[in-house]
Amino acid sequence: MFTRFEEYAAASMLGAPDSPPRVDGKLLFTNRWERDVFGLALSLAKAGCFEWEDFRQSLIASIARWEAADCADQPRWDYYERFLEALFDVIEAHGVLTRSELAGVIKARLPAADPTATR
Amino acid sequence: MSNLFEFPEDREASSAAKVRALEALLIEKGVIGSDSVDAVLKHFETMAGPFNGAKIVAHAWVDPAYRQRLLDDTPKAIAELSLPLGMAGAEGEHMAAVANDEHVHNLIICTLCSCYPWPVLGLPPYWYKDPVFRARGVREPRAVLQEFGVTVPPDKEVKVWDSSAQIRWFVVPERPANTAHLSEAELAALVTPESMMGVALVAAPTA
Repeated sequence: MFTRFEEYAAASMLGAPDSPPRVDGKLLFTNRWERDVFGLALSLAKAGCFEWEDFRQSLIASIARWEAADCADQPRWDYYERFLEALFDVIEAHGVLTRSELAGVIKARLPAADPTATR
Repeated sequence: MSNLFEFPEDREASSAAKVRALEALLIEKGVIGSDSVDAVLKHFETMAGPFNGAKIVAHAWVDPAYRQRLLDDTPKAIAELSLPLGMAGAEGEHMAAVANDEHVHNLIICTLCSCYPWPVLGLPPYWYKDPVFRARGVREPRAVLQEFGVTVPPDKEVKVWDSSAQIRWFVVPERPANTAHLSEAELAALVTPESMMGVALVAAPTA
């Protein structure tokens, strides 16, 4: 039905618990990294690293874990935080990167003065 | 008490750093190209989206002959405009436009699932796929429109169009009054995706 992977991927998320935030027909990104992580997930699936449905299920699981967490430990709701966690999970599960490579990524910190990083 | 709503300030920065490091490593390993992320987002940001529909509607407002061609053969009329490549393909080639006027108000739904003219309207809103909206849109469109804030006078006909894989409908809304002085680009800026689904009217500029 869809000739473009991008539309298939976005359409499969619509009306489901993993729907991305959007406004006026466009994806809504509050920060630059949210746009980047959305694009990364699509790019990796498009490159065949995993099936898009695998990522979706990982995202649904990540959202469910957030919902099940004790109030005291529950971080503020943030769709793209769950999205990033889901992407790490699916990357590890499919061996796109090794565990030690991922550990390096998770430890990454921004240079002290980089005002552009979150916008 | 003062720290009850304290937000971990570094969480955003931490996520940004992880995403940046992840992308850099994936590019370095050759898993994705250096332009892959921008390429997939370009589809949503510049190729297929409500900006296309708004340009089509604004052009139909200023050119009555074009409006007629748009209603007669929508894909052909769209091809006359220089719009991005996202217009081509399965989602775009079966599009059909219907126009609101003083006698008719059109409403687009999809009773089957969520067929939608993506190239001109972008991503559908949450409620578009809602079974209740889909069912009530057919059964009591005037009541549904009322809930969206659109009151259709009793003497005005309401037509409901059911999008499918064969035909994806969109609405050419009525041009608001007092817009004769606006340029085509200024008119396009008034057109919302909701107005092209028939659940909203185009509001006149406030200034």
